[in-house]
Amino acid sequence: MKLQRMRIEQLRQFRKPFVLDNLQPGLNLIHGPNESGKSTLVRSIRAAFFERYRSTAVDDLRPWGDSAAAPTIELDFEHEHRNWHLTKSFLQRKRCDLSVGTDTYSEDDAEEKLAELLGYQYPKRGASKAEHWGIPGLLWVEQGTGQDIEQAIEHAGDHLKSALNSMVGEVASTSGDDLIETVRSQRDTLLTGTGKPRGDYQQLEKDRALYERDIEELKERVHKYQEQVDRLGKLAQDYEQAEAERPWEEAQRQLEEARTRYQQVERLEQQQAQEKATLAQLQQNHRLLQQNKEQLEGLSRQLEVRKSELERAERDLKVAEGQTPAIAGRLAEAKTAYEQAEKLRKLAALLQNRQRLEQDIRRLEQQKQVLTQNLAKAREYHQQVEQARQQARDNRIDSATVKSLRTTAKELNEETIRSRTIATRLSWQLDAGASLTLNNEPLTGLGEQQLLDESTLVIPGVGTLGITPGGEELASTRRKLKSLKDGFEEQLKTLGVASVKEAEDRLSAFENAGRAQKHAEDLLKSVAPAGIEQLVAEQGEAEGELEKARNQLQATPKPDPKEHVPSLEEAEAAFVHAGTALDKAESDDREHQATLSALKQARDSAKTEWQRLADEEKSPERQQQLRQITTDLANIEKQQTELETSLERREREIREARPDFLKQDIERYQNAANHLRQTQDNRGRELRDIKVRLEAWGAEGLEEQLNEKEAELDQCNRRYQELHRRAQALDLLLTLLTEKRQALTRRLQAPLQKHLNHYLSVLFPEASLEVDEQLRPGTFSRGNELGQITELSFGAREQMGLISRLAYADLLREAGRPTLVILDDTLVHSDSERLEDMKRILFDAASRHQILLFTCHPEKWQDLGVPPVDIQASKEQGA
Amino acid sequence: MPKFLHTADWQMGRAFTRFETEDGAALVEARFEAIETLAQLANEHQCDAVLVAGDVFDAQTVSDRTIRRVFNATKGFTGPWVMLPGNHDAALAESVWTRAQRLGAVPENVHLSLEPGVVDLEPQRLSILCAPLTQRHTYGDLTEPFSGYELREGFLRIGLAHGSVQGLLPDEIDSTNPIAPDRTEASKLDYLALGDWHGTKQINERTWYSGTPEPERFRNNDAGNALIVNVSEPGATPIVTQIPTGRYQWHQWRETLAVQSDLEQLLERLDGLPDSAVVDLRLVGSVTLAGEETLLKALSVAEARFRSLRFERSGLQLAPTDEDIAALKADGYVGEVIESLRQPQEGAQDDAARDALAILAGLLREREQEASQ
Repeated sequence: MKLQRMRIEQLRQFRKPFVLDNLQPGLNLIHGPNESGKSTLVRSIRAAFFERYRSTAVDDLRPWGDSAAAPTIELDFEHEHRNWHLTKSFLQRKRCDLSVGTDTYSEDDAEEKLAELLGYQYPKRGASKAEHWGIPGLLWVEQGTGQDIEQAIEHAGDHLKSALNSMVGEVASTSGDDLIETVRSQRDTLLTGTGKPRGDYQQLEKDRALYERDIEELKERVHKYQEQVDRLGKLAQDYEQAEAERPWEEAQRQLEEARTRYQQVERLEQQQAQEKATLAQLQQNHRLLQQNKEQLEGLSRQLEVRKSELERAERDLKVAEGQTPAIAGRLAEAKTAYEQAEKLRKLAALLQNRQRLEQDIRRLEQQKQVLTQNLAKAREYHQQVEQARQQARDNRIDSATVKSLRTTAKELNEETIRSRTIATRLSWQLDAGASLTLNNEPLTGLGEQQLLDESTLVIPGVGTLGITPGGEELASTRRKLKSLKDGFEEQLKTLGVASVKEAEDRLSAFENAGRAQKHAEDLLKSVAPAGIEQLVAEQGEAEGELEKARNQLQATPKPDPKEHVPSLEEAEAAFVHAGTALDKAESDDREHQATLSALKQARDSAKTEWQRLADEEKSPERQQQLRQITTDLANIEKQQTELETSLERREREIREARPDFLKQDIERYQNAANHLRQTQDNRGRELRDIKVRLEAWGAEGLEEQLNEKEAELDQCNRRYQELHRRAQALDLLLTLLTEKRQALTRRLQAPLQKHLNHYLSVLFPEASLEVDEQLRPGTFSRGNELGQITELSFGAREQMGLISRLAYADLLREAGRPTLVILDDTLVHSDSERLEDMKRILFDAASRHQILLFTCHPEKWQDLGVPPVDIQASKEQGA
Repeated sequence: MPKFLHTADWQMGRAFTRFETEDGAALVEARFEAIETLAQLANEHQCDAVLVAGDVFDAQTVSDRTIRRVFNATKGFTGPWVMLPGNHDAALAESVWTRAQRLGAVPENVHLSLEPGVVDLEPQRLSILCAPLTQRHTYGDLTEPFSGYELREGFLRIGLAHGSVQGLLPDEIDSTNPIAPDRTEASKLDYLALGDWHGTKQINERTWYSGTPEPERFRNNDAGNALIVNVSEPGATPIVTQIPTGRYQWHQWRETLAVQSDLEQLLERLDGLPDSAVVDLRLVGSVTLAGEETLLKALSVAEARFRSLRFERSGLQLAPTDEDIAALKADGYVGEVIESLRQPQEGAQDDAARDALAILAGLLREREQEASQ
């Protein structure tokens, strides 16, 4: 399809007719600044095709403020060697005329013809929108939408497929996609996306499991019921049989028998026990008699023993009596030694007392002497204190006043010296004999005087000279000197002294007296700390004590100096030793006396004992007794033998009857009888229980229920199978349909991919752009980069969009479809390098398709190799 | 001229699986009606007694209601009924019979033969020698003691037993309860009334299986009858009359469809069946798309007419002809899908493919119809 000429009139700013002709079969660059009508031209072409001529939604075509306008577009184009001429007017004059070669179409026919040619559709009402634009929507790129390729492809969808049908043969289906949707929706009511049952199908699966469980339970219960019935049959039979045979009665009879036999054995055992007791008694008797006999026979032997005992007692007594004198002698000696030691001890104590008294007297005398000396000294020191006190009283003077006096004297002295330096000095050296009278005082010889006051010098014979000392200070000095002199005199008077020296002397004497008093007081304190009176008292006391000690010594008898007296300690030790020795001797004596009496006693009793036995041995009763015992013993032995025989015989009898077994038999028969009765009772009870249970279970109609449940399960199963089969079938059908459809798109994919690669290699030599099953450019890869086209930059997406569109154009051209490409100010976001590449691509595409490129930046496209068409210029030309 | 009605295998309390709930209920109901029919027949033929040779109940634990309804249904005939426990309702220590007695559901004229022995029907001069099953299965011949029973003079010796006559039945069902084939001779019976085999079957001139009065399976032959037995005097050969009692006829067809005429024939036969038919239809072979459409329509009609119609056509291949496919007007890849579905598949896939093709054809036909409207 080649657009050759377009003419518009009464359309937006083109109120006057505007013609654009001489359009080339390849590239056409149409430019004009903003507002020049570039966009209006693009809009006109779109309106000519997309908008219904009778549409009321095209007010935007009307020139501003011209309500009477009838926007008109005329287009001339060539397709498959036939000339098409289209005239379309809107609004005030709604018309559409189309001539193709010699054929003419008008109104709706004309529009349908155009839609069929280009592959788009009209809106049912209102303005045409993107979803109606079909293939032109893909090839005619509006300003700023170049990158939105996916949407455009989707809108072109069906048109594209039917347009491309001729290429891929009759594989596309007119109703295939709808069919797929129907099958899918039917499948989806039964299966989830992953092929799991859902809805009724799933519910049936669950119900089935539920039924199966119920059936299983019922079967279990039926089985239990049957078991119980069998158990009932068996029990009833056993019960009847047992009732008939009554085995517990036999056991009872055997029990009685065993009991009787056991009682017999018990009687035997009692007899046995009695005889055993008798035997034991006999044996006891025998033992006693035997003892008696032995006792009687033992008397003579005892007599011998007694005799020898008696002899030994007498011997012992004699030995003890022999020791008596020695023991008495040792006692007397000890007594004497004790008395001697006692005497010595007393003497030693007396002597020691005397020595102590003498010592006391010596000490007291010494003490008395010291006290007497101290008293004398104390009285002396006391006198010295009194003297020092007297001296201090005599010389009392205030030391501060003395100090003040001293100062005053010093000041006075200094002032006097000062006054002398400023005073008028009058010196004289008179001839011998000559005299002068100064202030009524005569001066002779050599001298000097300082004058502070007005003075009168009378020179005899001459007259009188007045001398007045000069200087201002002289007066004040004189006043001060006077005041000082007065103060000094006053202080001297107060102190009662004539001179400073006298005051100083008195002060010194006062201080000396103070120091002497202090010294004497210290000495006094050292000899009589508590005072002289205390000292006197102490001396009296010492004298008293001394007197007392002397008297005591006088009273104490004086020992005989010739006698040797040991020390008190020695005497004490000797005394204790003698006491111990005496104690020992006394206790030895006592012990000896006791031994003696004990031995005498032993000898006496031994003698009595021997005497008694000797008498008894000879008695006739004893001889009689011995004979009696021997006879009794013989009798007892005979009885014993008889009893033993009887016992042995009965023992055997008892042993043979096996009483232990008999006892066990009794227990066994007892248990058996009980057990048998119990078993029968249990049977009876269980029978009743089972009957009751079975009655209850039977009433439930278990097997009938089971039958019904099984029928329900079967029903459920059938329905499930139906749905299952249907689900499988739908799934298979859907899979097949989608597979086949995909195969179809894949067949279109390949040529599209080929064309796309053709352009892509110019733009990105190393890159690849995959076309997906919906024939959309999808995955883009370049080196290590891999991603969707939508992830690229805007500029790159626009470039990709454009080459995809060109690839589609190539594909459509191969299918013999019209391919007019219109680009409205496209690629504005491309950098100069990419733009260069895109220009090569466009130039290449223009060799196959007519391309109208509208722009307001003609300078960017100068090197496109085609003469640009300036709208502005054309407009002026037309005018 | 003693005359009695011989019946057996009522199987009361059986529920019917594989049927729609409603159909199953009707079939159960028909069995109660069958008992009433038997009572009516006994009256009509002036029978002296009704002998039921076992399996009155299908199970021991049927509901109380079922027990009561069974005995209620016998009320039409006031003469004596002798009921024998079979393998399904054996006279165990606790059984459906003891329950019936406890419920007080058993009328006085109904004799329950719960122990082996003779039931004498005095006025009718009938001695019924009963061999009830007292266990679920026995391996000895329970009719053996018949030989030892001494009867009163002039009474007919009628054996009543439930089990398999050894060596005679084609299918040795329940062969655990054996019965000697020469029992009538050996025990000098005038007639041996047997139960267990659900079809009516004569063993010898004195031995019969009456079969069940109302069919309940597809596979038994000649079910749905009762026997009227007429024995003029002891030793006389019995005259046995077979009377149909069944309400529903059960048909199980296994058909192979190969050519168009096979289908036509099948539909004709279906058409010929009465409304009271219970049909189980299993089809194998192949059918064209058009054929399938016809078949489905016919089955839909039959389903509404018959008591029950079940059909299984998983073995029936859908083999669309080229005309079928052309009629679907499927172009492009949908056409390819149809082609690949027509290819024979393996195993389960084959079923799925056939179903898928049917669904697709259905959808395309719908589409076509919509378009033509």
